[in-house]
Amino acid sequence: MSTIAASSPGARPARPSRRLALWQATALPLALLVAWQLWALTLPENTRAPYPSKVLATFFSLTASGDLPAALVQSLGRVLAGFGVALVLGVALGVAMGSSRALRDNLDPVIESFRPIAPMAVLPIAILWFGTGTPAALAIVSYAAFFPLLVNTVHGVSRVDRKLMQAAQTMGVPRWRILRHVLLPAALPSVLLGARLAMGVAWTAIIAAELAVGAKAGGGTSGGIGQMMFVYYAYSVDLNAIVVCMVVVGVVALAIDRLFRLAEHRLMPWRH
Amino acid sequence: MNTSSQPAAQPKLRLRGVSKQFLAARATTPTLAVAGFDLEVAAGEFVCIVGPSGCGKSTVLNMVAGLDAPSAGSIEMDGRAVTGPGADRGVMFQDYALMPWQTVAENIGFGLAHGTPGQGLSAAQREARVREHIELVGLTGSERKYPHQLSGGMRQRVALARLLANGPEILLLDEPLGALDAQTRLILQVELLRIWGETRPRSERKTAIFITHDIEEAVFLGDRVVVMSSHPGRIKADIAIDLPRPRRESVRAEARFGELADRIWGLIRDEAYRAIDGRVEANEPSKEETTA
Repeated sequence: MSTIAASSPGARPARPSRRLALWQATALPLALLVAWQLWALTLPENTRAPYPSKVLATFFSLTASGDLPAALVQSLGRVLAGFGVALVLGVALGVAMGSSRALRDNLDPVIESFRPIAPMAVLPIAILWFGTGTPAALAIVSYAAFFPLLVNTVHGVSRVDRKLMQAAQTMGVPRWRILRHVLLPAALPSVLLGARLAMGVAWTAIIAAELAVGAKAGGGTSGGIGQMMFVYYAYSVDLNAIVVCMVVVGVVALAIDRLFRLAEHRLMPWRH
Repeated sequence: MNTSSQPAAQPKLRLRGVSKQFLAARATTPTLAVAGFDLEVAAGEFVCIVGPSGCGKSTVLNMVAGLDAPSAGSIEMDGRAVTGPGADRGVMFQDYALMPWQTVAENIGFGLAHGTPGQGLSAAQREARVREHIELVGLTGSERKYPHQLSGGMRQRVALARLLANGPEILLLDEPLGALDAQTRLILQVELLRIWGETRPRSERKTAIFITHDIEEAVFLGDRVVVMSSHPGRIKADIAIDLPRPRRESVRAEARFGELADRIWGLIRDEAYRAIDGRVEANEPSKEETTA
């Protein structure tokens, strides 16, 4: 953030330079928004082209009608449920693979051959097996979130300092308590990193899945924010509403990431 | 005081013909790390093991701790075979092995909270024991700090307090002062002897095995110094340290201290030189020597 302060240590107090950095970060986006709005003024009255003031107005009307909040809740609910499934499976398998070299050597080829298959490539099968509703969406989200969680948990667990576990053994600590009180806390930084990455891809996957499922479900506000975008694209061709959805998706992704960083801070006070 | 290095009839710890083979990575034949190791340690005795790096000192300690199984031979504590790790043999590791996510107080209370030493104790009793050991090693005021916020000397105190809070019968110390600067090291040597129970009668002292590569440290601390040679690790000499206890800093200036240290250095100098550089030869060849 404070690049100015870092480049000239002690020369300037930190506060003005931080304000400068904030200004530098927002100046260009603001200028682009203004340019976009000015350009829109030259367009005819009935244009379909989106522009800032119209997007903002659409955002307020979609929020007031309850459509946007309902869709957001729907999508977030699916992400959380799918993430939960992936968390349990990914961490459980990750701990097992991380602590057993034999298991790791056996399962690694299978995991590595599935990992490059994008969540969207699994969608056709998910729809055929689970239909176009929540179960299919959950399957996609879980699939997407599973791999970052698994890979990072395996990495974290396999790198835990053996001395720590030996120390616990010499204090008469039983095996399962070593797992709970040494192995897991020691691997926590990696697991949390995996969780943050997993949540990011889960959110990406749910939007894409809902977009793809949208056509079959035939619209409606209960289909989540991805399906809402599909409806505005395929039925009403409302570009302003689509932009609203895009911005909301981006802001939510950012908020999720920040929440995870906050959680990391709270759960690992020894790292700060 | 205890000038005799001959242990009592029933030793606290007895190693007989202990050897350990390792199969190193990419090696076809196993390497013999420790061979024919016989050692008896009496209750309340402080035994130091010195030897060149890589002589298998730590391997011996790990086997006594139960973290490693001997390839041959037997290890007995109070006449019963050692089959695995247990809280009756506490270990202080070279790099302390403190849990980085726990505070000083939590680390010291780890064994009490999760292991056998805490069984049958109430939460209040555990807390009292943690408090008592924080005071014993002089860490009052740092209870809530994390290991990364502490100096090397303070971390070493945490590890020592954790070791003692678990109430082990045998203390296994693997170069616990190795990572410290020279001054801190001298101070903590004196402190270690105090905590071990130097001023108390022998029956109230813990049994201790202390591994070090520092000869003067071994002479200053030990009732006996076991000198090891390497490839494979064997006992070369077992020397009784007949310096009076409690030992003060001034003991280092005594002629007897110098004699003992010189004698031990004479036993390991050849190997020490060879370990540094295969081409360098020590001036005088040393004699194989065994006492006790």
